[in-house]
Amino acid sequence: MGRLLWEAIQRSTTGPIMSEEKFETELLPSVLASVQAKYKIEADPDEPVMADPDMADAVFQAGMELLLELGLYCQDTKRIIKFTEEEIKEAIATARHEVTLGQGRDEITLKPRAPGDTQHPYCWPPAGTFTADVDIYRAHALTVVQEPTCDGVFPMPLYGIGNTKNIAETPAHTLVCLTEARIMNDVATWAGRPGLFFGIPMSATTPITLMSTFNSGLYNKYNCTLPIQILMDMRVNYDRFNLTFFAEQQGLEPWMSCSPTLYAYLSGPEQGAIEIIAHALGMLAYSGGTLTQGMSVSVHGTYSGNDITWCNSAAALAAEQNLQLPWLTMGGTAEESPMSDRSWYGTAVCIINACISGMEATWLSGGHTGLEARWAGELSRAAAGLSPREGIEIIKKANAAECAPAPPEATIDKLYDMSTLRPVPEFVDHYKKFTRIFKEWGLDYPSWDD
Amino acid sequence: MPTIEDLKQLVSETKPEEAAEMTRELLAAGLDPMQVLEAGVMDGLSEVGDRFAAKKAIVLDLVKAGVTAKACVPLIQEAFPEGQGVKHDKKIVLGTMLSQHNIGKNLVSTMLSIDGFDVIDIGEKNSPYDFYETAEKEGADMIAVSVVFAPAMEKFSELIDMLKELEVREKYPVIVGGAVTTKVWAEGEDADGWGAQAKDGVTLARELLGVA
Repeated sequence: MGRLLWEAIQRSTTGPIMSEEKFETELLPSVLASVQAKYKIEADPDEPVMADPDMADAVFQAGMELLLELGLYCQDTKRIIKFTEEEIKEAIATARHEVTLGQGRDEITLKPRAPGDTQHPYCWPPAGTFTADVDIYRAHALTVVQEPTCDGVFPMPLYGIGNTKNIAETPAHTLVCLTEARIMNDVATWAGRPGLFFGIPMSATTPITLMSTFNSGLYNKYNCTLPIQILMDMRVNYDRFNLTFFAEQQGLEPWMSCSPTLYAYLSGPEQGAIEIIAHALGMLAYSGGTLTQGMSVSVHGTYSGNDITWCNSAAALAAEQNLQLPWLTMGGTAEESPMSDRSWYGTAVCIINACISGMEATWLSGGHTGLEARWAGELSRAAAGLSPREGIEIIKKANAAECAPAPPEATIDKLYDMSTLRPVPEFVDHYKKFTRIFKEWGLDYPSWDD
Repeated sequence: MPTIEDLKQLVSETKPEEAAEMTRELLAAGLDPMQVLEAGVMDGLSEVGDRFAAKKAIVLDLVKAGVTAKACVPLIQEAFPEGQGVKHDKKIVLGTMLSQHNIGKNLVSTMLSIDGFDVIDIGEKNSPYDFYETAEKEGADMIAVSVVFAPAMEKFSELIDMLKELEVREKYPVIVGGAVTTKVWAEGEDADGWGAQAKDGVTLARELLGVA
C-alpha cells in the first residue's frame, strides 16, 4: 500500500476548497500550460513517436510539477489533496520495479526494459467481444487464449447474459462480471493455460461490483488486478481510496491507469504525456502499486494517430528513464473488422511503439479473434530489439500504407471452423499478407507458419 | 465604431464581456440583429469549431465560445422586432444518463440554446425517471440524452421502455449521443435520432420539432 493513502484521506478534509468547475476550466489548464512552457515540450505532428531522452526527462519533471502544484481534486469534499516533493520522491525511491502476474507455466514477470531491449513487451490481446451472447463471447475468447504468443488477456466487457441485462449498481452487474470471470477461467483451462493473467475485470465498474467479483475467487491476486485509478484530469473520489485499501487487504495488485483525453481540457499530446506522469506519481503515492498503464484517447474518437502514439511514447520513455515501473499502453484501431487492413496496421503501430519506447507490455483495443492475437504476439517478439529509429521508420510505413476498403464485419463462425477452432483459409491468407509485408519492411518475423 | 467582423473576432477569441459590450454597440448603431447574430456570433463560433476540427482548439475552447455567444444572444433577441426573434418556443430536457460526464452534454446545451431552443439542463448522473419527471413537469417537447459509458446504454433502453409504459412515448421525441453510442445502436433502441457531434443535436431538434 502507498505510504500516503491515509495522508491523502486526511488531506481530503483539510485541503483548499474549490469548485470542480473552477478546477477543471481554470486551474488545470493554466498549470498545465505553465509547466509545458517551462520545460519547452513540443510535439512534431509529423513524428509518431517521441524518442528524445532529454525531452522524456522534461516530460517527467513537468508531470512531477503538475502534481505538486495542482494536487488531486477530491470530488467528495471539493477539496484539493496536495503532496510534498519529499513525499513523492520517497514514493519513487521505494517503488517496486517488477511485478509477477499469472501462475505456473503462464506466470510472467515484468521487469524494466529499455528501448531496443531484446526482451519483448508482453502482449495482452482482448478476449471476448461486444455481445450479451455468452456462447459467441466464449468462442472469441477461446480462439485467443489458445494462441501461444498470447501472454495474457484483457476481457471485453460483457453486455449481459442473454436477456439478463448488465444493469449498473445492481447484483446483475456483479453477475455479469462473475460470468465474464467464469468464462475467462474456463477457456484458459480448456486451452491448458489455467494460470493465465486476465488483466482487469471489464464488465463491472463500481466498487461494490468489483469487490464482489474478487470475493468469488474467480478473479484473484494471481490472475487479475484491481483498478484504483485517478479519474480524468487529476480528480479522485473516495471510491478510489476504498478500492486501494481493499486491494491492500486482499493482497491484490493495484491497476494504476492513466488515460487522458486529448483536446478536451488538454491541448494536445504534450499535455497528455505530462498528465500521464502526474497521474502515475499520484497513484504510486496513495496505492504503492507497480503495474501502470499510460494511454491516451482523442475526443476526435480514436486510439490511433501520431498524436496518440506520440503521447503514449513520451510518457512511457519518461517513466522508463525516471520511474522504471512495469509500464504498458493500450492502442490499435477499435471497431474495425478482423479482415480490415487498417486494423492490422494499427495493431502493429501500437506494438512497435511499445517496443521502442521501453514499455513492458501492451494491451490492444481491437482484434477480438485468435489470429489477430497471434499477429500481435508474434509482432511483439519480432519487433523487440529494434532501435527507436528502425521502429519509427516501420511505423511511418504502416501509417502511410494503402488499405483496402474495410470489409463488412465478419462473425466468428465465418472466420473460424468452430469444430476445430482453426481459422478459415481466407483469414489465414490475410494474416500471411501482413507477415510478408512486415518481413519486407525488415522485421525478423518468427511466425508459426514458417 | 466596431464592425461585425470585430464581434466575430471577439467570439472566436472567447471574450464574453467584450463581446457582449460590442454587441450592444452594434445594435445601438442600428445594425440588423440577424446580421449581428449570423455574421458576428455564429461565424465566430464556427471559427472556433473549425480550429477544433483541425486540433488547434480544445473542447474547453468550444465551451468558452459557447459562453461568449450566450452572453450576446439575449441582447440580440431583445433587439428583434416583435415576433421575429430566434426563439422557437420549444423546450428540450437534456442530461447525462447515469455518469458524471458533462463535456459533450454542455456543448449540446449551449448550441441548442443559441439556436433558440429553451433547454432544461438536468445535469449529470440522471436516472431514466429524472428525464421523464422533468419533461412532464416542464411541459417539454423533446428529450435529449448523453450516454457516455456502457452501463448507461441499458439505462437509455429503460427510459424508452418507461416512456412507452407510461404512454408518453409519442409525446417526446428522444435523441441520444455520446462516446459509446452508434447510429445502429440508437436505431435498435428506438431512439428518434442519434448525433455524432454536438451540432447534430441542433439539426435533429429542428427536424423532429418541425422548426424551420
